[in-house]
Amino acid sequence: MKEVTVRILENKPIAAGIYKMTFALPEKVGGISCGKFVNISVGDGAHLLRRPIAVCEHCESSVTICYQLKGEGTRLMSGKKAGDTLSCVLPLGNGFSLRGEDKRVALVGGGVGVFPMYSVLKEYEGTGKEFFSYIGFRNKAAVCYAEEFAALSEKAEIVTDDGSFGKKENAVGAFFEDLANAKPDVILSCGPTPMLRALKAGLAERGINIPCYVSLEERMGCGIGACLVCVCKKSGKTENARVCKDGPVFEIGEVEL
Amino acid sequence: MANLKVNICGVELKNPVVAASGTFGFGKEFDEIYDIGVLGGISTKGLTLEPRLGNPTPRIAEGHGVILNAVGLQNPGVDAFLKDDLDFLKSKHIAVIANVAGKTLDDYAGICEKLDGKVDMIELNISCPNVKCGGMAFGIKPESVYEVTKVSKSALKKTPLMVKLSPNVESIAANAAAAQKGGADAISLINTLTGMVVDIERRRPLIANNTGGVSGAGVKPIAVRMVWEACNAVDIPVMGMGGITSAEDALEFIIAGAAAVQVGTANFTDTLAMPKIIDGMNAWLDSHGIADVNQLRGTLRLNG
Ligand SMILES: Cc1cc2nc3c(=O)[nH]c(=O)nc-3n(C[C@H](O)[C@H](O)[C@H](O)COP(=O)(O)OP(=O)(O)OC[C@H]3O[C@@H](n4cnc5c(N)ncnc54)[C@H](O)[C@@H]3O)c2cc1C
Ligand SMILES: Cc1cc2nc3c(=O)[nH]c(=O)nc-3n(C[C@H](O)[C@H](O)[C@H](O)COP(=O)(O)O)c2cc1C
Ligand code: FES
Repeated sequence: MKEVTVRILENKPIAAGIYKMTFALPEKVGGISCGKFVNISVGDGAHLLRRPIAVCEHCESSVTICYQLKGEGTRLMSGKKAGDTLSCVLPLGNGFSLRGEDKRVALVGGGVGVFPMYSVLKEYEGTGKEFFSYIGFRNKAAVCYAEEFAALSEKAEIVTDDGSFGKKENAVGAFFEDLANAKPDVILSCGPTPMLRALKAGLAERGINIPCYVSLEERMGCGIGACLVCVCKKSGKTENARVCKDGPVFEIGEVEL
Repeated sequence: MANLKVNICGVELKNPVVAASGTFGFGKEFDEIYDIGVLGGISTKGLTLEPRLGNPTPRIAEGHGVILNAVGLQNPGVDAFLKDDLDFLKSKHIAVIANVAGKTLDDYAGICEKLDGKVDMIELNISCPNVKCGGMAFGIKPESVYEVTKVSKSALKKTPLMVKLSPNVESIAANAAAAQKGGADAISLINTLTGMVVDIERRRPLIANNTGGVSGAGVKPIAVRMVWEACNAVDIPVMGMGGITSAEDALEFIIAGAAAVQVGTANFTDTLAMPKIIDGMNAWLDSHGIADVNQLRGTLRLNG
């Protein structure tokens, strides 16, 4: 991990309230991979905490993130133009990784959790793995990356909470409906905590033991593992894990949701 | 290159910039970003006798130019620190300051005994609730500041004791004097100010613990005033902190009387904040023809 000043190449809205930003890295930064995140300083002196945002796409020289306008920090980010610079700490956390035997992979993503799911697709593009993507948005206006998911997945099902695009369903519901067809060797998921809880409960109810990894969100201080601000509870242990350093990706049984 | 070495109650720091407790862990993570051997020292995360899990999350929120935290002293316990973390810090050749906390006077005595002779300095966090006094923090009244300092000091045969004052008090001067009277070898301040941020949609405090400790750039004027008052009230050295973000900020504290400074929240905003502050201090002293940072200490000229 490194703190670097990045130069914005592009920053534009791609759906209602969602921006896509691509920035150039000033130097080679090793270890960027799917499911990891970057920690961005909005740099105005008033907002002292960095904003953690998942890597969506990356190559040697640049990183793309997609972010939802939520509060002042993301609003300030949306005002940046190509050519502007940002201070960024990256790459952070432990991301998703697939083993050789994970041939059929289910991706279950909701809300801003769809972007780390796309980072998995991009990273394993052309490796012969078969992806089954279940992607949920609030409504049609929020839908983005639909074609990209379709292009890289064996099957991509985009659903919305209100049925204005695809089925009226959530990502977890869509996944379980298609489970017999997908027959995944591994499940990867990212989304709001209630969604991850529903996934965990659904797997338990059906007695399904397929390995499942989830990416968590927690408010952060340092973002690098030093301050113990971002913790979650480890299941069955009197011990905490740091979302920023030990996660954000955990085996679903390892942590309390 | 100006001299940046300072001596705090017999402990030599290669420069007056120390990582503030709770923002820097035990140094390992920041050392992945830069060699923490460049620092004057590190004050560890607050240690307790037993491991603690801390408060529920969210543990942090933001205000304009400040943050609030309520981590609740999550730490692995003093024994785990001695076993797993101390050697690494020693290998960095920086002053190792163990920040310690307790719920009872016995806790403070016990933890000081365990650390005596093993670290360069103890920093007593007295902003913790005293279970025997209905949860009122040890650091609020001068009488209990005196008591907790005295008990801790008598448990220490070798390691100097620095008492970290809480700003949430009636008189910082009275508490500073009480720490000195109790036998403190140095004092540090300020710990966080108590605050609250409310989410108006949910009509709930943003932090799970409801209230949190305010720190960061916005608290600096309060901190400088308190450090100045404390310096006037004691003869022992003072480490100043609260909102330091730049070399210029650090120099304000030194001119107001601090022998060294600590940097906390700025490490979150800029992971390289401390090395930049050290370089900036050097450059400022050079450009002002000052050969030694110690010459600047307490040189405040009051108006009128
Ligand atoms: C590992 C990780 C990856 C993330 N990836 C993405 C992503 O790819 N796209 C995206 O849109 N969002 C993502 N988020 C959520 C994103 O960090 C928040 O939406 C963002 O910080 C909100 O900032 P703000 O200033 O607009 O909102 P405010 O509410 O004004 O922020 C106030 C403070 O709370 C923090 N905060 C608020 N919401 C969250 C949250 N959900 N998680 C963590 N901190 C929060 C902010 O960082 C800031 O410190 C991710 C969060 C984490 C932890
Ligand atoms: C996340 C966080 C955790 C902290 N934990 C401790 C602690 O364990 N013990 C302590 O004495 N002070 C603790 N502090 C207080 C700082 O050491 C420091 O006194 C305060 O933050 C003011 O300095 P700053 O404005 O530079 O951050 C903590 C502060 C923060 C932000
Ligand atoms: S944010 Fe500091 S430990 Fe995770």
